[in-house]
Amino acid sequence: MSTKKKLAEILASKGLSINFQSGGVAPPEMIDREINKKPTPRADKLRNIYYDTLSSANTEFPYWYTRKWNELEGEVTVVRRAESLKCAFSHLTPVIFPGEKLVMQKASYYRGSFPMPWLSEGFFVAKEDELYKDALERGSASSDELSKFGTGGGNVTESFGNVVSIAGKFGMRKEEIPILVKLAKMWVGKSVDDVGHKYEQMVPEYKMKENIMRTLICMFDSGFTLPQGREVINYYYPLQYGFDELKKMAEDCKSKVAGRADGDGLVGMDRLYFYEAVRIIIEGIQTWISNYAKEAKRLATTEKDSVQKSEYEEIADCLEWVAHHQPRTFREALQLSYIVHIGCLNEDAISGLSPGRLGQVLYPWFEQDMKAGKITENEVLELLELHRVKMTCIDCFASMGVVGGVLSGNTFNNLSIGGLTKDGLSATNPLEMLIVEAGITCATPQPTLSLLYDEKLPEEFLLKCIECDKTGTGYPAWMNNQGGIQFIMEQYGPEGMTISEARSFAIGGCLETSPCSWKELTLNGKKYSIPGGSGQPTSVGVHFIANPKVLELVLTNGKDHRTGIQVYPPHNHKLDTYEDLWYTFKMYYEMTCDCLTTTNNIQHDIWRRHNMSVFSSMLKPDCLDKGHHIGHLGYRYNGTYNIESCGTSNMTNSLVALKKLVYEDKKYTLDEMTTAILHNFGFENAEKIGSYSLADQVKLPNGDNYDDLYGDCLLAPKYGNDDPYADSILKEYEDWFCEMCHNYESLYAKPLYACQISVSTHGAQGRATLASADGRLAGTTYADGSMSAYPGTDKNGPYALFNSATVWDHTKSQNSQLNLKVHPSAINGIEGSKKLLELTRAYMRKGGFHIQYNIVDSKMLKDAQQTPETYRDLMVRVAGFTQYWCEIGKPIQDEVIARTEYEGVM
Amino acid sequence: METKNFKHNDCLNFAPIDVAKGICRITNKTVFIDTPICPAFSELAKCRNCTHFVNSKQENMGICTGLEKENWTYANLVATTCAGYSKK
Repeated sequence: MSTKKKLAEILASKGLSINFQSGGVAPPEMIDREINKKPTPRADKLRNIYYDTLSSANTEFPYWYTRKWNELEGEVTVVRRAESLKCAFSHLTPVIFPGEKLVMQKASYYRGSFPMPWLSEGFFVAKEDELYKDALERGSASSDELSKFGTGGGNVTESFGNVVSIAGKFGMRKEEIPILVKLAKMWVGKSVDDVGHKYEQMVPEYKMKENIMRTLICMFDSGFTLPQGREVINYYYPLQYGFDELKKMAEDCKSKVAGRADGDGLVGMDRLYFYEAVRIIIEGIQTWISNYAKEAKRLATTEKDSVQKSEYEEIADCLEWVAHHQPRTFREALQLSYIVHIGCLNEDAISGLSPGRLGQVLYPWFEQDMKAGKITENEVLELLELHRVKMTCIDCFASMGVVGGVLSGNTFNNLSIGGLTKDGLSATNPLEMLIVEAGITCATPQPTLSLLYDEKLPEEFLLKCIECDKTGTGYPAWMNNQGGIQFIMEQYGPEGMTISEARSFAIGGCLETSPCSWKELTLNGKKYSIPGGSGQPTSVGVHFIANPKVLELVLTNGKDHRTGIQVYPPHNHKLDTYEDLWYTFKMYYEMTCDCLTTTNNIQHDIWRRHNMSVFSSMLKPDCLDKGHHIGHLGYRYNGTYNIESCGTSNMTNSLVALKKLVYEDKKYTLDEMTTAILHNFGFENAEKIGSYSLADQVKLPNGDNYDDLYGDCLLAPKYGNDDPYADSILKEYEDWFCEMCHNYESLYAKPLYACQISVSTHGAQGRATLASADGRLAGTTYADGSMSAYPGTDKNGPYALFNSATVWDHTKSQNSQLNLKVHPSAINGIEGSKKLLELTRAYMRKGGFHIQYNIVDSKMLKDAQQTPETYRDLMVRVAGFTQYWCEIGKPIQDEVIARTEYEGVM
Repeated sequence: METKNFKHNDCLNFAPIDVAKGICRITNKTVFIDTPICPAFSELAKCRNCTHFVNSKQENMGICTGLEKENWTYANLVATTCAGYSKK
């Protein structure tokens, strides 16, 4: 019999059980979610194909891109890039799957994607290859080593047969691997990664930056991993004008600007090249669509089933039209918006390209088709379900550290609903009710839904959203509309943002408040005002800083004991007061922000010179008006770079414990505390245990030296309990952090701002962090988000947690993030729905920015971890997103299981 | 036609779901790429069966002479959208 004791057992024997339930006791039997509806047979069939589909990559797009790029040496870069993209789009093999009505995908596979070696070429080759070793050396692949993918679902984490696993997740046919390596090596010294690296080394603090990356204090470089994303797309121009008209506009603009600087001696002349690039990229997109139309026709001629034959003919008709003109019907408008979406995703490595308020963008077609009797609500619902399946098939090809460690394989195509109109009225409409219904009937991770909660939204709509939440899918998330508007006004006011325009904002990525604008759309003579993205990506800047890790290095005089690297210059402070500790923490943090900002600015500067977006640029106001792409400030709003943090709750709790135990009670010296932390309080490392949950950690033999100290750390005040002692530390941090971010400047000469989401970095960065003074043990996952309590530490109910979370002004940050796990039985029936709505309202009214729920029985999650094959369709809310359980890495699974389960919400 | 070296993903009737399998448009069933093909096999346009694919050497790579400028290519590249494709 084993003598090893888990932490939970040790504490229970002392009457100090970690409380993972609050507000009651869960029923002994496993309870399923209350709401469970089925999709239409067509969507069900196509979703079932997805369930059995592997993430698959091929080299078709990169081959054609590279071939054309090499042929055009000497061409103006933006034109060279447009021609390369056109060549690649034009050669994508069209594949239409039986039963589809909404067609096209990123690559020929159902869940296909491809590498972009022009961004970064080292991470997807074999680990033995010198390219990969080089990436490790410079710190750009460090997060790969501490990132885990779930081994289920579509992740290809191991090679098999003629399939090779690349970048830890994607399968590629063995015969294509030599092609992949050849393509990768053609970009050595030319990719954004390589050129950026050459110049970032000229930053005086470069060595510190490299050490920060290697120790995972920061998760990833945004400049060459995901240079775009966490933004809101804009479908307006293709939907209003159609591609033929847009091409003609680009030609007209060329004539007007050719050879003219028009007062801008720096980039005035560049407008000609941009408009030429726009013309070229449109032709590429049109050819791509037309190739699919031809394929649909071919399939129609060979199809024997009359129903399927006519569906292929309908597809061909739809595609032939939208390749050139403004859509005529709702189906065409939805098809075109989806094509534009994946067109952008093929242009660059993007995670978090949000459709924005799609239900308001497509409403003109819905309204007119419904009025004319051209379509029924059931037909719209089916199309919306198919849209969900297609969006879920989107994969983002990036490194294991990024896709696994940050994204958990999610692509964050976040669709916003609700909010206000330009005039300040409720913006929701009947199409949005169907979008929510499709989210219920066809539960899939994409597009996830975000409700822009405003007091003006109708009760019926809000209760519909609660019904959707009760499916347990983790959407819609609830965002504070008024808080979002305030943030938008503050950050983008200097760029001309007005209140009416701020009302158009939507969520990009997980919960990134993103600037948008209104455009007037005319359909059959009727005018509509529709919202769409008008700002640069917000996936850019400093991403993500591990707050507990920075504090750890304050205690260790700047040295990372996991790797042995001296990351920061030794501060040599005595740290004999809490104020000195806090001062030194801020000093290291600011050094981190500074060197990451400057090095990332260089990477992004290389990106905008060599890899600027052309297609995304032409979609966003005001590029077509100005004649400038994103890199020349063509977008209306450009102050989008931010500083993202991770582990706020653990950092807060650790500062609280140090302040109380070391500086106020003087029960232990800081040296004693640091020694205990370095020895993991006498526990085994999580890595050896194979669990990243605190409760599962095991005591070392003879590990009793720190029992008293560790017990005091666990019993120290904790954030999330409406305890002013702990909450005042949070407030001091937030007030400083939100202000401090403004001290740094992006390459576009705009101030950075605070962004407080964790995505999945709390797993990987937790693995890189030693034990912390709050009692968290080495290698275990941090609390998710920024406002979520650390599992088991919120003991006074949800309203106490809300009071703690709102001691600071959330409108000073792009977001904040609070997730709650609620047992399904706690909110059963319509009365339960109303209770959940009141709970949500209470948080919004206190000024909280975001709240979302995992409505699931923890027993089900534990069962799913044991028998994942029986839970292929189980989804959970991780941080700001929903993901299939079986595709999430174990550190995050353990953390979701450990979260406090609320058995009541009153 | 000699078909012994062909796989399902060389067939025009194959819709590739992923790197391991796809849907056969004739039977409407899922088939694995690396299983034997059937008599209804119809060869898909790829560089390997194009007259402009020359000097094929190691690892199935060769030279494409069918477009404006010569360049390297590989045998398994699907050529259904290639303007220079000419079936052998």
